[in-house]
Amino acid sequence: MGKGIKTFIKNAAPKAFNFLLFLVIWQLIVVVFKIKVFILPSPIRVLQHLFYPPIAAKYNWWLHVGATFMEVIVSFVATAIAGIFIAVMICWSPVMNQLLSPIIILFNSLPKIALAPLFLVWFGYGFLPNILVAFMVAFFPVVINSAAGLMAVEEDLLDLVNYLNATKAQIFIKIRIPNSLPYIFAGLKISATMCVVGSIVGEFIAADKGLGYLLRDAQAFIDTPTMFACLFLLSIIGLALFFAIGQLERLVMPWNRRREA
Amino acid sequence: MISQPRAGKSIGRFALSEKTLLSIKNLKKVFPLQGEELVALGSVSFDVYPGEFVTIVGPSGCGKTTLLKIIAGLLPKSEGEIHVDEAMFDPTREVGFVFQKALLLNWRRVLDNVLLPIEILKLDKKKYRSKAMEMLELVGLKGFENAYPNELSGGMQQRVSLARALIHDPKLILMDEPFGALDAITREKMNLELQRIWSESKKTIIFITHEINEAVFLSDRVVVMSARPSRMVGAVDIDFPRPRKLEVRTTPQFGEYAVKLYKMLEIT
Repeated sequence: MGKGIKTFIKNAAPKAFNFLLFLVIWQLIVVVFKIKVFILPSPIRVLQHLFYPPIAAKYNWWLHVGATFMEVIVSFVATAIAGIFIAVMICWSPVMNQLLSPIIILFNSLPKIALAPLFLVWFGYGFLPNILVAFMVAFFPVVINSAAGLMAVEEDLLDLVNYLNATKAQIFIKIRIPNSLPYIFAGLKISATMCVVGSIVGEFIAADKGLGYLLRDAQAFIDTPTMFACLFLLSIIGLALFFAIGQLERLVMPWNRRREA
Repeated sequence: MISQPRAGKSIGRFALSEKTLLSIKNLKKVFPLQGEELVALGSVSFDVYPGEFVTIVGPSGCGKTTLLKIIAGLLPKSEGEIHVDEAMFDPTREVGFVFQKALLLNWRRVLDNVLLPIEILKLDKKKYRSKAMEMLELVGLKGFENAYPNELSGGMQQRVSLARALIHDPKLILMDEPFGALDAITREKMNLELQRIWSESKKTIIFITHEINEAVFLSDRVVVMSARPSRMVGAVDIDFPRPRKLEVRTTPQFGEYAVKLYKMLEIT
């Protein structure tokens, strides 16, 4: 375990240093060129908005972060489950494939974000329309990647079980699904980013809380430091989700981890 | 010059057996190709007796793999007959197949790869665990049961696939150039191993290769096929006592067999 932490620090140290360097240069530029705070606030100013109690207390950060985070997580889990399930259905049955594929292609060609105003009309303000927007945006990468993975099985691997007269269920459980895991995770990683995008767009249009809502609110008052603070928090949410998926991937596919080592 | 496949007589350990395990008559396979017919396998006939080691040699593209896949039920035949003595073995469950590539499932540890046929045949996995360990020991991979395939060398992977083909105790083992991708040294070791496993387990093996020395060394009988248009040229019985040592290759008789096969393959 101690070794694990050591390698983690070893890997993380250069990245942390680069990030700090970036902040220092940013701070210097703002100070040296005397850039006005509503154009580009200094990183110290942004961090004050987040963490310096007298200023931070004015903003209900936890409420907004919590709202956005919940939307991202719920929409991500929903896209993952629905996406993988539908991909399995498409690959399982040719009838399902013919039935669902045209619908998926049609919906995928639609700019999904354009659905957000419609969802506002249908579902009003709040949680549900935001999740639906995120779902619509993030769903297709999972379906398309998972289906591609399930189809992309070497013919020889099928021979390997077919000469023993394997059932269709056995072929799925023992060959197709494990074989598609790398594809599924690639889809999930795209989907995670898209869930953040979808949630924010939903909040722009129909919300009374969340970081997207706060961004628009701050924009109305030209409160640039708050806007930057929102962007900072959004990137943290995105990174956290991405990291979590990476960890899950290592857990589910230990054979890949060994290859890296 | 060319000896025809014998009917009703076999050589080797089961010389007295008159009953064939597998009998192939005028087997033919054509694939449709852009409106025309591509003959993948022209009329092939031979018999396999229980416990025999039969090798099929021929140039690339002569339909050797197609033949094996038809026997395994992976491809439908176009014409001819395959007669299986179902009193001797169940062709849907008692066949083992070693493919050209190791084809290990990279998400499974070695032991679970070996146990794959047990799962597919819905046999009791617990009962076969110790047998799988034995099989791994038999192929010289003791201690590797928890490794992942990508941690093994090519030769080790192919040996895992051999253990996998044996785990469900098949009567008939089909081997499609299993050592083709191995280096010469590993290959010779594997030939000796295979002979040992075969003689210990009393299996019937149909083996494909385009390596003449390998064919003569391993086989009771070598069936020769020609290049496209694919057809069967004939068969040669190999009459060396078992177990054979690698030195058998230096005997004049071995050379005569090889020359005979080269002639049948029209390599002169």
